[in-house]
Amino acid sequence: MAAVKSQSSLTQQSGMQAVDLTKLNLMQLTQFKQGLDTDLQFYQESLQNLKLAQSKFQESGDSLSRMNSDSEGANVLVPLTGSMYVPGKLTNPGKVVVDIGTGYYVEKSSKDAQDYFNRKVKYVTENMERVQAIGNEKAKIRELVMDVMQDKLKAQFSQQADAAAKSS
Amino acid sequence: MDVMEILQKQFQESAEKLQTTQKDYSKTLSDRQTLDSQLNENRQVKEELDLATGDSKVYKLIGPALVQQDLDEAKTNVEKRISYITGELKRKEDMLKDMDKKQDEAREKMQEIQIQLQKLQQAPN
Repeated sequence: MAAVKSQSSLTQQSGMQAVDLTKLNLMQLTQFKQGLDTDLQFYQESLQNLKLAQSKFQESGDSLSRMNSDSEGANVLVPLTGSMYVPGKLTNPGKVVVDIGTGYYVEKSSKDAQDYFNRKVKYVTENMERVQAIGNEKAKIRELVMDVMQDKLKAQFSQQADAAAKSS
Repeated sequence: MDVMEILQKQFQESAEKLQTTQKDYSKTLSDRQTLDSQLNENRQVKEELDLATGDSKVYKLIGPALVQQDLDEAKTNVEKRISYITGELKRKEDMLKDMDKKQDEAREKMQEIQIQLQKLQQAPN
């Protein structure tokens, strides 16, 4: 197992050369591992944010689907502030105004808006899968680095033990 | 030893210079990332605007008010913003390449001085 791993060379993303792990000393390996840990943490955070965005879009889509043309004239409570609601009547449930980003809002039919939310959910899900894949790659590399580190530590200890045995 | 003092002072200066270049690099990097995400957002807005038909109303949030906008005007504004951000992004990337080189130079200089210091310390008085 050690033989296979000692030949492991990592080809990173464009711009970096292949690195043979066993050629690095313990300190460089530790630094490398720390860098990987930071990356992994960042990917975890990103995944959480994406998940949040995904559930928000999903919620919007679900709420929208409950508001169809039957609900014309239905009684609703309209929030004026965080704690004050005002009774009102739902008009024109066929059209909604959707926030598309950077301060722009577009009036869409319920059907188009539903399409919009479905598209967004799909987009976010795709990105989540991409981040997940990259995260897994990095986790694998981190495992490799830790194995090489362990091998080196063992080698170092046995060297020290030999030296101590010889000198005593 | 006078030479020693001078070298040590030089070493400290070069270490500080390296720190400064590293800080500048990080800041430029984070600027670049912000620009990247803004570009993405604007691109998505443009896609949605392109999908919108001529009769759907477009509103822009100006302060606390939603103000109606002309679809074509909105599209033009977003396109202008996209090209502005793309330009800024390229500028930052060029700056980053430059700073990367400066960082390497500063690091090399620091190492050179370090080697000189070590030689001095090892030389018999």
